[in-house]
Amino acid sequence: MARRFLSLFCPDIAVERLTKLVEWCDRYSPLVSQDGSDGVILDITGCAHLFRSKSAGEEGGLLLDMQHRLHRMGIAARASIADTRGAAWALARYSDKQIVHGDYAIAALNPLPVEALHLPHEIAAELRRLGLITVAAVRKIPRGSLNARFGSTLPWRLDQVFKGAEDPLTPWRPAARYRAARVLAEPISTVGSAEYVLGDLLQEVCTKLEKNHLGSRHMDLACYRVDGTVDWCEVRTSKPCRDASHLMRLFSGRLEKLWADYGFETFVLSVVSAEALPATQFTFDQLSPGRNPIKDEDSFDMLVDRLGMKLGFHEVTRIRLRESLLPESSVEFRPAAEPVMANAEWPGYRIRPVRLIDPPMRIEVSIVIPAGGTARDGSPVQFFIGERRHRIVCAEGPERLAAEWWRESRSRWGERDYYRVEDDQGLRFWIFHHSGQWFLHGHFA
Amino acid sequence: MPPNPAIQKLRQRIASLEDVPRRFSQTIPITEPINHWLPFGGLPVHCIHEVKGSSLAPAVVFAAILSARIAGDRGNILFIAPDRSLYLPGLLPYGVRHDQILHVIAKRPLDRLWAVMETLRCSEVSSVIAFVDDLDLTESRRLQLAAESSGATGFLVGGAAAGCIAAPVTRWKISSVRGEPGHRLHEPVWETDLLYSRGGRPGKWILEWRGGKLQEILSEQQPAYQALG
Repeated sequence: MARRFLSLFCPDIAVERLTKLVEWCDRYSPLVSQDGSDGVILDITGCAHLFRSKSAGEEGGLLLDMQHRLHRMGIAARASIADTRGAAWALARYSDKQIVHGDYAIAALNPLPVEALHLPHEIAAELRRLGLITVAAVRKIPRGSLNARFGSTLPWRLDQVFKGAEDPLTPWRPAARYRAARVLAEPISTVGSAEYVLGDLLQEVCTKLEKNHLGSRHMDLACYRVDGTVDWCEVRTSKPCRDASHLMRLFSGRLEKLWADYGFETFVLSVVSAEALPATQFTFDQLSPGRNPIKDEDSFDMLVDRLGMKLGFHEVTRIRLRESLLPESSVEFRPAAEPVMANAEWPGYRIRPVRLIDPPMRIEVSIVIPAGGTARDGSPVQFFIGERRHRIVCAEGPERLAAEWWRESRSRWGERDYYRVEDDQGLRFWIFHHSGQWFLHGHFA
Repeated sequence: MPPNPAIQKLRQRIASLEDVPRRFSQTIPITEPINHWLPFGGLPVHCIHEVKGSSLAPAVVFAAILSARIAGDRGNILFIAPDRSLYLPGLLPYGVRHDQILHVIAKRPLDRLWAVMETLRCSEVSSVIAFVDDLDLTESRRLQLAAESSGATGFLVGGAAAGCIAAPVTRWKISSVRGEPGHRLHEPVWETDLLYSRGGRPGKWILEWRGGKLQEILSEQQPAYQALG
């Protein structure tokens, strides 16, 4: 099947507006890319029939639709469709022909100036100096001579334009394999009607996913406003999921935040990433009468999704124990949505507080130094947290902790001597002594 | 002072209307004397408890001990806090397993309340420990209903200065106190103050965590409380 490219030429558009326009063009094809500083290129292979109109046909219908909308948005633009990217580019900029098929491209391109080949500036200038002003004149020169004179750039470019040699298009975002779109006859602006459309789209996408035994991990919804701006909302899940009602619940919080303004006219839902999700069979228990057959509503994974969507997935964590002597690096908060990693065994003899103060808090401690000892041998007798005095009635320690010698970056705290202390009120603390200073590091129960 | 029989009768009538015995029939044990003291025969599950502490650490540990008993080997314990100050190795001796805890951070109190509500509604959650305080009657009743519908148990934890939950089933205050001379610091002693229990009387016990279980040291049920109850 011949590929079809649409090149859009917007001569006087601001850069910011152009990137918006690229996003906007996503409504016509999933393969869209910015083309230089003044245009957009779309691979519309297999997309045109969606825009069929009685009078203008498929591609004509697409062009009409696009021009109509661009005109309404106040963007001056010309568009052309051809079999190769280079031909479409040339026609949009140097010709008034809009739709060209196969070999008719040669006839359409022949009278155009050499600049239409989108050549580097110095090659185009050199061609003009040699009197080769039109495309037709360049095409008459034998390939070998061109190669000798201009290097491989020019012949290769001719191949790209006329023979469809490789001319890749890098989409501004990866094309989604599973997507569904609704173009509405009338713009809508209420959350309720947007939810209705989204429900429809989710149903469609989830059915596709189910057929392929996949579940979505990340999907996004593009909402096109009447005035040409696009709003995105995305939904991520901790496990692959194709339960439309669950996804709907995750989306609904986002939809409320959209600002409809003049109303939305098009919605496109795409699955950005999907993972395998085999079909599961209901148990007899789930199918027994009087019970909701799909009782996934309140499963634990979905709870993780809901919490993660609202609070951020990095805030919903499992706590992993690590092999380390340093208190602050022996635990790690890992997002619950990520795969489980092995945990270290925690030796029971290491007594640790329930709450850790990070970073440790500087405190003033009075110590008693035994006769003939140094400051290092002293055990604490009282300390202050702010103004409040804590008289120590019971102390256990010291327990010396230091970073393992094989670690490259030794902690800035170096070696620490920890004491477990109880004050006269019954409060229990974890304090440590490090090079002449004392710190509070945790609270015991 | 023996309770007035008229009041006693009225209480029974209210209890039958409130359906208290059936709603709180499922319990977990705390210690023998406390179980007898509570009108439910133990700490009722599927409902909301409030745990205050002289500092946060004893309140968290008390809630964690009870949560571990509710969750058993397989249940999930949700921990909803404004920061990451929980240090898991310190909780392990109290019967909590590291892989059954899901730690959720929500900085704003409103988000925290929302998270508690969502988690209490989930039937695969056995227990929720959350830093939530100062709830009005409507909010705490909604939490209570969520807990009853799913079968999760909520422990709303706060420091001494924190505001109260309007309608918990029990309200505790756990204060660290000095142990006997010679006790070890990893076997803490708490003054366990039952400030309120629905349909029951307040009470006070000194508990110690020793050898992997809670033990009573001595109980001082204060006469003033009994008169109130």
